Amino acid sequence: MLIQILNGFVYGGLLYILAVGLVLIFGLRRVVNFAHGGLFMLGAYIGYTIASIAGFWVGLVASVTVLAVLGVVMDRVVFRPLQDEDPIVTMLVTFGILLVLEDLVRTIWGKDFLTLKPPAGLDGIIMLSGSSFPVYRLAVIALAVLVAGGLSLWLRSSRVGLHVRAASVDPVTTAMQGVDTERLGATVVAIGAALAGLSGTIAAPLLALSPSMGSFILIDSFVVVVTGGLTSFTGAFVAALLIGQLHNLGVVFVPAAASVIPLVLMVLVLLWRPDGLAKKRS
Amino acid sequence: MKMRVLLPLLFAAAGALLPGLVGSTLLMTLLTQAVINAMLATGVGFMVRQNGMVSFGHAGFFGLAAYIVALCTTNHVVTAEFAVLLAVALPMLLAFLLGLAILRIAGVAFSMLTLAVAQSFYELMLRWRELANGDDGMAAELPPRLFGAGIAVFQTPESMFLVCWAALMVVLAGLWLLSRSHFGTLTIAIRENEERARFIGYETLLPRALVYALSAGIAALAGVMFALYNAFVTPDVLYWSLSGEALVMAVIGGTKAIWGPALGAVIFFLFKDVAGDLTEHWPAIIGGTLIVVTVLLPRGASGSLLALVERLGVRR
Amino acid sequence: MSEIVLEGTGLTRQYGGFRALDDVSIMVRRGEIRGLIGPNGAGKSTLIDVLSGRGAFSRGTVKLEGRDISGLNARQRRLAGLARSFQRTNIFGDLTVGEQVHLAARAAEAENAGEVMEALALAPLADRRAADVSYGDQRRLDLALALVGRPRVLLLDEPAAGLTMQESLTLAALLRDLAQRWQVTVLIVEHDMDVIFAICSSLTVLHLGRILVEGPPEQVRVMPEVVTAYLGSSVA
Repeated sequence: MLIQILNGFVYGGLLYILAVGLVLIFGLRRVVNFAHGGLFMLGAYIGYTIASIAGFWVGLVASVTVLAVLGVVMDRVVFRPLQDEDPIVTMLVTFGILLVLEDLVRTIWGKDFLTLKPPAGLDGIIMLSGSSFPVYRLAVIALAVLVAGGLSLWLRSSRVGLHVRAASVDPVTTAMQGVDTERLGATVVAIGAALAGLSGTIAAPLLALSPSMGSFILIDSFVVVVTGGLTSFTGAFVAALLIGQLHNLGVVFVPAAASVIPLVLMVLVLLWRPDGLAKKRS
Repeated sequence: MKMRVLLPLLFAAAGALLPGLVGSTLLMTLLTQAVINAMLATGVGFMVRQNGMVSFGHAGFFGLAAYIVALCTTNHVVTAEFAVLLAVALPMLLAFLLGLAILRIAGVAFSMLTLAVAQSFYELMLRWRELANGDDGMAAELPPRLFGAGIAVFQTPESMFLVCWAALMVVLAGLWLLSRSHFGTLTIAIRENEERARFIGYETLLPRALVYALSAGIAALAGVMFALYNAFVTPDVLYWSLSGEALVMAVIGGTKAIWGPALGAVIFFLFKDVAGDLTEHWPAIIGGTLIVVTVLLPRGASGSLLALVERLGVRR
Repeated sequence: MSEIVLEGTGLTRQYGGFRALDDVSIMVRRGEIRGLIGPNGAGKSTLIDVLSGRGAFSRGTVKLEGRDISGLNARQRRLAGLARSFQRTNIFGDLTVGEQVHLAARAAEAENAGEVMEALALAPLADRRAADVSYGDQRRLDLALALVGRPRVLLLDEPAAGLTMQESLTLAALLRDLAQRWQVTVLIVEHDMDVIFAICSSLTVLHLGRILVEGPPEQVRVMPEVVTAYLGSSVA
C-alpha cells in the first residue's frame, strides 16, 4: 500500500511540474497553452537524445535550456502578437502547434517506444517496509517538492514574482501600474516551457517515450489546473497530488476506467466550488 | 426574404442530384465521408456560434454514438432502431448534465475539459478490451433491415450519400429556424454578455447547457451515420485528432453562418484528397492549416463569401 | 410622506481588509429620484451592486416594497421589479437594438418594448446591430434594457458617463419625465453634478463606505462636511 501511495506521489509530482507551467502562463496571458503537452514530449525526446550521448544530467540541462528558449520564442511569435485577440484564437493556434509538434517528433524519432535509464547513483532500489522501491522515483518526488518550494519562494520574495502574482489576479491593472508585462511575459512563458522540459526529461525514465505521450499527460494536467482553480499555484499542487493518487489507484484497481476517475473528481469539485479548490466564488 | 428560403432549397435539391451525376464510386465514397464530417463540424460550429465556446472534444460524442450503435446491435440488447435513438439521446443527455457542471467555468477551462472528457472515453474504449476489443475495434452486426429500408441502403455510397445529405439539410434547416427563435436570440445574448442577460431577468446556465446538448446530439447523429456506413468502429473515432479535424473544418468554413462548418468540411475533404501523398504528415498539415486560417481568415470561407456577396450587392 | 419602496439595512461589503461598504442603511421612497454622490472610492457603485445582487454575498438586508429580497439573485431581483443599468455600457453587441429590447421585455413579461424604444428615441435604430450604433445610442439602449417592463425601482450607475454636456442634460430630462410617467423610483449614481441637480429630489452622500449626510440637494451642497469630503471639487 505504501508503495502504491508513493507511486501516486511520483505521478502527482510530474503532473504538478507540468501543470504549474500552465498555471503560470494562464495567469499572465489568460490563455491555455494547448502546446504544453507537445513541449513536455519534446523535452523528453531532447533529454533522451542528449542523455544517450553525454549522460543524463547534461541531457536534463540541455532539455530545460532548449525549452526555455523555445518558450521565449513562443511568447514573441504567438502569445504577444495575439494577446488582443479573443483567447479562442490563441487556443486554436497552440492546438495547431501541438499537432505540428507531434508530427515533428514522429518524423524525427519515429513511432517506436523509447526508454531512458535513470542516471547512475539514482538507479538503485531501496527497501521500504518490506517492498523494494526505485530510488529514482523518490528523487522525482523530492524534485517536485523542490520545484514547489522554489517557485513559492520566488513568487513571494522576488520583484518578478510579485508582479507575476499581481498579474495573475488582475493583468490589466498590473499593466497600468507600469509593470513591464512584455518582459514579464517572456520570462514567465520561458519558465513555464522550461518546467515542461524538466518534467518531460525526468519522466523519460518512468514512462516510455512515444509521440502521443504529450497528449496523455496534457489531459491530466488540464484536469489538475481546472480543479486547482486555474490561477492558483497552491491549488495546482494540491490537485496534482490528489489526481496523482487517484490516477494511480485507478490504474491498480480499475485499469479500464483509470482515465475517467480524475474527471469524476474534477466534476465533483466544480459542482462544490465552481472556481476550483483554491477559491470560493467571488 | 424569398431568396433566403429559395436558394437553400435549390442547393439541397442540387446536392441530391449528385449521385446521379457523379459516375465514380470512389468520389461518392469521399463525398459521403465529407457529408458525415460536415454534420460533425456543424455540431462543433453551432456550439461556437450559439455559445461562444470551443469544444475540443466533439469526437467524444461522435465516437460514443458510433460505439452505442455497434455495441447494442452486436449484443442484441435492443432493436437496431432503438439503438440509433439511444445513440443520439445518450450523448445529448451526457452533454447536458456535463454542461451544467462545466459550463459554469471560464471558456478556456471549458475547452480544456471537453478535450479531457473525450480523451477519457478514448482511453476507456482502448483499455476495456472485454467490452469492445480495444485497439482492434469491433464490427457492428447490423440487422438486414433498418427503419424499413434494406441495410444496403446505408452501406452503398450512392444511397448513403442521399441519406446523409438529407439529414444534414434537415439539421441545417432546423438550426436556422432555431437561430431565429426566442431561444436563438436568448443564447446569442448570453454568448455576448452573460451578466447582462441575468440582469434583464434570464437564467443563463440552462440555455447554455441545452445548446451544448444539441450540438453534442448533432455530433452523435454524425457518429450514428458513420457506424451504419462503415459497420466497424475503432477507438480512433474518439481520438482527439478527429475533434481537432472537426474544429479545423468549422474554422475553415467560419461559424458565423450556420452552414459555414459544413462548407468547411467539404473544402477540407477536397484538400485532403489533393494533399494525397502528404497524408503521412496529415496532423502537421491540419495543425498548420488551423494556425494559418485562424490568424489570417478569422471569418472563414462562409464569412468571406458573405462579405463578397454583400460587396457585390452594394455595387449593383 | 409616501411609503418606502427600497430599503437597505446594515449593508456591508468587504474586499480582503478593505471595507468598500461599511454598515450602510438607506431608504428610498416611492416616486423619489435619489442621487447617490461622493468622491471616487466612496462605495457608490458597490452600493448599487449590493442592492442589485451583483457579486459575492455581503452582509445586510435589502427590502423591496417591504419584501426581503436579500436571498434573491440578480435575475430574481429584476423579475421582482428591481432593475439596473451599468457604468460601462453593458449591452448585447451582436443583437439588433430591437431584438434585445424585446428580449428584455419578454423576461419581464412586459408589452411595452415599443413604447420604451419610442420614448428613448431608439425606434429608428431597431434593426441596427447594437455594436454599430453610436455611443450615445448605446447608453440609451442600456437604459432601455433596464426600463422595459416599468420596474418599481431603477438603479442607475452613471448613465451619463462619457456623454457630452448637452447629451447628459437631454438624458436627464428624459429620465425625469419617464420616471414620473411610469412611476419608477430611481436611485442614481452620477459624477455629473449638473445632471444630479437637474433631476434629483434628494441626495445621499457616501464617503469612505459610509453615509455622510442625506437631504434635499440645495441643503446638501452647502454642508461643510460635504465640501470637505470633496475637497473643492465641483460641489464646492
